[in-house]
Formats: sequence, structure tokens, C-alpha cells
Amino acid sequence: MMPMIKLTNISKEFKEGIQAKKIKAIDDLVLEVQKGEVFGFLGPNGAGKSTTIKILVNLIRPDKGKALIMDRDVNDTAVRKHVGYLPENPYFYDYLTAEELLWFGGKTTGLSATAIKNRADELFQKVNLENARKRQLRTYSKGMLQRAGLALSLIHDPDVAILDEPMSGLDPLGRKMVGDVILELKARGKTIFFSSHILTDVERFCDRVGIIVAGRLRLVDRLDNLLVGNTKLEDVFLREVEKAGGGIEI
Amino acid sequence: MNTLWPVALITFKEGIRNRALYGITLLALLFFIANFLISGMFMQEVGKVAIDIALSAVSLSGLLLVLFVGINLMAKDLDKKTIYMVLSRPISRSQYILGKFLGMALLIITTMVFLSVCAALSIQLIKMVYPNYFPRFSWPMILLALSFNTLSMILLSALAFFFASFTSTSFITLVLTVIVYIIGQSLSDVKALVDAPQTVGIHVSAATVKLVQLAYYLFPNLSVFNLKIQAAHSLFLPASYILWTVTYGLIYTALAITGAAIIFRLREFP
Repeated sequence: MMPMIKLTNISKEFKEGIQAKKIKAIDDLVLEVQKGEVFGFLGPNGAGKSTTIKILVNLIRPDKGKALIMDRDVNDTAVRKHVGYLPENPYFYDYLTAEELLWFGGKTTGLSATAIKNRADELFQKVNLENARKRQLRTYSKGMLQRAGLALSLIHDPDVAILDEPMSGLDPLGRKMVGDVILELKARGKTIFFSSHILTDVERFCDRVGIIVAGRLRLVDRLDNLLVGNTKLEDVFLREVEKAGGGIEI
Repeated sequence: MNTLWPVALITFKEGIRNRALYGITLLALLFFIANFLISGMFMQEVGKVAIDIALSAVSLSGLLLVLFVGINLMAKDLDKKTIYMVLSRPISRSQYILGKFLGMALLIITTMVFLSVCAALSIQLIKMVYPNYFPRFSWPMILLALSFNTLSMILLSALAFFFASFTSTSFITLVLTVIVYIIGQSLSDVKALVDAPQTVGIHVSAATVKLVQLAYYLFPNLSVFNLKIQAAHSLFLPASYILWTVTYGLIYTALAITGAAIIFRLREFP
């Protein structure tokens, strides 16, 4: 079966400082995510999670390797019709309303005005922004922006949802809401790739997890293989980080 | 076009609702009101002064619009990472630049049309109060001056987009745009001076002449769009000049936006 996400030997370096010192952000990353899977991407701060995600949505280009979504190179603009992306700490246009934001998301993916309206109605209810949909985004709190971002990423009902820290900045109700959305997407056979620092959420939703430390993918396995006996995901995570000799910032 | 229009429309909406735009418009309206008082103080040439002040107010507002609203429309996308949201849609980087620029051009045209109507009203009211001071008056010339001013602001915003495509902060884009504006406004005069230095009794080195000539072909000559004197004095302008200037403005704008799109395609957004 064709994997929905396929990363083949991805490497990426960044230049830093006046002397352009090279920093290895990702080193030879190989990963596949199958259709209908919820994949949790874990790692300490600065491990390369967001860089990997940005390669998947073509914001960054890898130095080496190939990134494919639905068997098409992520460079191909058309592939993003099937991808929904929620950035970490999303920031939108201050003077647009949430409704206009979703209109933009729908229009750019080729939805009709009626389809956008129906889908927006459904999503605003789901993310609990029904009463704030006509308000300009500059009046939104961090959590509300996160929820608007989630609605935007799902407006076109994508086959693949890539969510970078979707729980960030949310209160317990907001986290539950995001969890419900992920579970609903999973039930509908969608593929979800998400990064998170909240390991209990990862345990709740994910079929498989990958742990990246200092740019190298240290472990990829099914959660039910990892959580045997009394083992918690936190134990697995800490063990992998320590094995890699990386600093722990959780 | 399917993706250009949504980008252009949200850019336009974001710009037209920006509070800085209201401030700029208010400043222009105050100038138009002040026009009555200032023109009335002159015992002669009231018409010329009124036209000059009205056109200058529109010109200044256009410049402020490009520098403080236009630059932010693109640079803020990069500063605040709003660009993640846009580029993660099925939009290529060239489409993003073109869509943004179309939105900005629409914003400039809308604002300039509004300010031009206000400027025309201010001139018309002064003309009604002091009819004897408008012996040679031409609405078409005023309209042409306003249109050329709009075109020069669109060209300047295209250059701002070009700078934003490779700079890392909005401040650098602002500084570069201001420098180009100043050079563009004074380039003609400087070239005329180095071409015939003997007329003012100075000596210009060969290297300076070469440098000015290079700058003349590299930087946009924004003074060709300045028709305030022609409008104030209702001077005749040949059709060839109008045609040449419009072509020059459009080609320069297209080159700047194409350059911005090419550079932007190579850029990464970590």
C-alpha cells in the first residue's frame, strides 16, 4: 500500500551566525506513515520536529533526500490540496475575521462558496468559535487563534493533517476539543501526523510514535509494542533521549 | 487566477482595515481643508498654489501608504510567520507574490481614487471662491497628474516587494524603499547637472559621471511621474510623453515583481 507520508534519507543543515557555522537540524531521516494512521512525532525542544514538518509542507527544502505526500513530491503545489497544516503558535491576519480566514482556506483549495459556508458552519461549531466567527482575529486570545488555525487546516477536508503542537496554548477544554477532532479524523480514515510535548495526549490518540533527538530519528514503533506492562511513554521518551546523550527539555 | 484572487482580496482587506490608513487619509483631508486657508493667503497665483497643495497632499499620502501600510502587508507575513498559513495552501511562491502585489495595487488605487476626489473637491471649491485666479485651468491635466502619481506609487510598492523578497526585516525593506524613492526623485536633476556642469560652474570627475549614468539606468526615474508643475500651470504635454511614461512605469513594475518572485522561489521559511 502506498504510504501517505514518505520521508527518504532527509538531511537538513542551517547556517548560523556571522561565520555561517553549520548546524545539523535533521540527519538522514527515514519515515513512512500509512493511510488512516495517527502518528505522534516526539522529541525535545530543537530536536528537528518542526523542521521535519516544515519540509513536509515545503516551507523548507531538504539538502538531501526526498519528501513525498501521497506519492507526490511536496514541491508539487497541487499536493497541498490534500494536506491540512496547523503551524505551532499560528499567527493570522489581524484585520480578517475567522470567517474570512476560512473563506480564504476554502477558495485556495478550490471549494465552492456553498461548500465553504457549510464546512465553516460545521467547523466553527466543532472548535467552539461559533460566536466569534465574525470578529477580527486581532481580538482573539492565543487559544482562540489555535482553534481558528485548526478549523483553517481542516476546511478542505484534507486526507493528511499535519499538526505542529496542536494542543499548545489551549486550556483543558480546548485540548479535549482538539483530541475529539483528531479521533474523529482517525475514525474517518484520515492520516494525522502531529508533534506534541504532551505525552498523555500522544498515548491517547496515536497508533505509532517516532522519537527524534538532535536531528536523528531514534525510534519508530507502535504504541502497543512500547507500552507493555507498566511502561509509560514518558519512560520510553526519557530513555531514548538519554541514550542519544541529548539534553532533556520537557 | 483561482489562487491569485483570494490572496489579493485578503491583502486588500487587511490593508483597507488597517488603522494607519485612516490616519494617513485624515492627514490628507486636513491638508485639503488647510488648502483653503493657505491659498487664500496668496494675493496672486491662488489657482496654482491650490492645485500644487492638493496634488502634494495626495502625493504625500500615497508615499505614506506605501511605506507604512504596503511594506507591512508583505513584511509582516515574514516577521510574524503568517506566510506559513498562506504557503501551506496550494499556492506557489510566485502566485503568492503576484496575489499580494495585486491586493496592494488595488489598495493603492482605491485610496488614491478617494483622495483624488477629495483633492478635486478642494480645488473646485477654491476655484468657486476665487474664480479670477484660475485663468488657465485644465481638469484633464490634474487627472493625469493624479493618475501618474498613482502609477508611481504602484511602482514604488513593487520595489518594496522586491526588497522584501530578500531582506529579513520590514525595517530594512523600509530603509531601502525610502533610499530608492529619494534617488528616484532626484536622479534627473543630478544627471542634468553632471551632463552640463559648466552651466553652474563646477567640475565633475569622469568617475562621478559614470556613476550617475549607471544609477540613472539602474534606479527608477520617479520624477517623470511628477506632473504637479504641468497641472498647476496647465502646460501642454505631448501624447508620446504620456505613452512613454506609462510604458516605463508598467515595465519597471513588472520587472520588480518578476525579480521578487524569482528570489522568493529560492527562499526558505525556517
